[in-house]
Amino acid sequence: MTKAFSIFGSRSKPQLGPFEQQLLQELWSRGSATVRELLADGRIHQAYTTVMTTVDRLYKKELLDRVVEGRAFRYTPRHTAEELQRGAALDGIRQLLGSGDASSLPLSYLVEALSAHDAQLLDELQLLVERKRRELQSREHKAGGTKSREQR
Amino acid sequence: MFALRGIAVSLTFFVLVYCLLSAIVAVAWRSLRLLHAGEKSLAGLLFALRVLPLMASVVVTFAFVVPSFQLLEPRSIDIDEGIGAMPLVLGICALLLIAWGCFRVITAQTRTSRVVARWLDGARLLNVNVNANVNADAGAQTVMFCSRLEAPPLTLVGVRKPRVLVSSSTVSLLTHDELQIALKHELAHMRSRDNLKKLIFRFCPFPGMAQLESAWSQVAELAADDVAVSNLNDAVDLAAALVKLSRLVPFEAAPVCTVGFVTGSITARVQRLLAWDNAGKTPVMRIRPWHIIPPMLVTLLCVFGTYGPVLTLTHEMTEWLVR
Repeated sequence: MTKAFSIFGSRSKPQLGPFEQQLLQELWSRGSATVRELLADGRIHQAYTTVMTTVDRLYKKELLDRVVEGRAFRYTPRHTAEELQRGAALDGIRQLLGSGDASSLPLSYLVEALSAHDAQLLDELQLLVERKRRELQSREHKAGGTKSREQR
Repeated sequence: MFALRGIAVSLTFFVLVYCLLSAIVAVAWRSLRLLHAGEKSLAGLLFALRVLPLMASVVVTFAFVVPSFQLLEPRSIDIDEGIGAMPLVLGICALLLIAWGCFRVITAQTRTSRVVARWLDGARLLNVNVNANVNADAGAQTVMFCSRLEAPPLTLVGVRKPRVLVSSSTVSLLTHDELQIALKHELAHMRSRDNLKKLIFRFCPFPGMAQLESAWSQVAELAADDVAVSNLNDAVDLAAALVKLSRLVPFEAAPVCTVGFVTGSITARVQRLLAWDNAGKTPVMRIRPWHIIPPMLVTLLCVFGTYGPVLTLTHEMTEWLVR
């Protein structure tokens, strides 16, 4: 999630600090909450006013919705974590594609990065396969040894 | 006019039932994941669900709409009801839908034939010492050797005469055991006629079905893995082949009537194969073809029992549509 948020570091999209991210995670896990409810279970060690200011900032960044409940507001995330992640990823790709003069150049960086990622992933899988094969061979070797001892 | 009206009404019912069922299937198919079924059964269920709208609309049209119109619609030339605007519009929509389906099938077939002909250019029969099982499965010379550079590493092509194409790189890269198990995987696709199923999907287009088709494709790969693998050694060989051939995947998109070996989530497939455990396999529900007989019998009995009233009801609906 942190990775996705870091892509928000553009002027067009809101940038989120660690505490804002923490509050957003809390709200995703709860569905909706008031500031008092957020502070109630003791997982957030900040003053009431700090939390209130931060959720208000998230509301102004259009990441939260709020409704009046008594003398306070009840806050609800406007987007799911997946939606926000997808938006962040798309925004990052758009930024990358729009960053160079030659339009094919950023795309080639992307392809290069993906190929490198794929190759690394395949290397990891290859290692797993080889480890499993060695494990199997040693198991068969041991089984063979036991059998020959029994025959003797 | 009578015949034209009959055709228009039948096509209207066809397109209405097709669209309604397709919309339901596009939304409801995810609930199949709740079933604790084996991969092969799940692939069968997903396929059945995908073609259900087409099958059901054809059955409803020919079993109810056409007979109800033939038997209950007055044929007197004095009564000229006309076709009606709605049956005319929906009938044209149905014809367009059928034409679109046919077009998709023909283009898929044509493109596949063209690409496969290019891949097969200069290909020769595979001269590999495959074991008896693979030979028996392969049937009459289905395994080919393909040397074209742009050809995929290992793929099943064709609908009527399916063949397995193996590139020269694949033969040199894989060990004997890995090649055999990879061929078994492709032959499992051949036995379950996956290319034909893909072509049938093309014939019944509907928005929102792509995810269902993709899920079927993923599950069909897992099902073919299951058929090919019989012990942990096989599983490790198949996983090794999968990783090796993933590095050879060409950039060219494969045509519709082909099933490539390197398809779906490679990581998930490899991890699943490496976790293969004969003893520890959890029992899963297996759906066999004969399981469909009891519900079919019940449905047939219901249809016979209520055929008359249903025909009357269908005719009332056609009357409502025409007016």
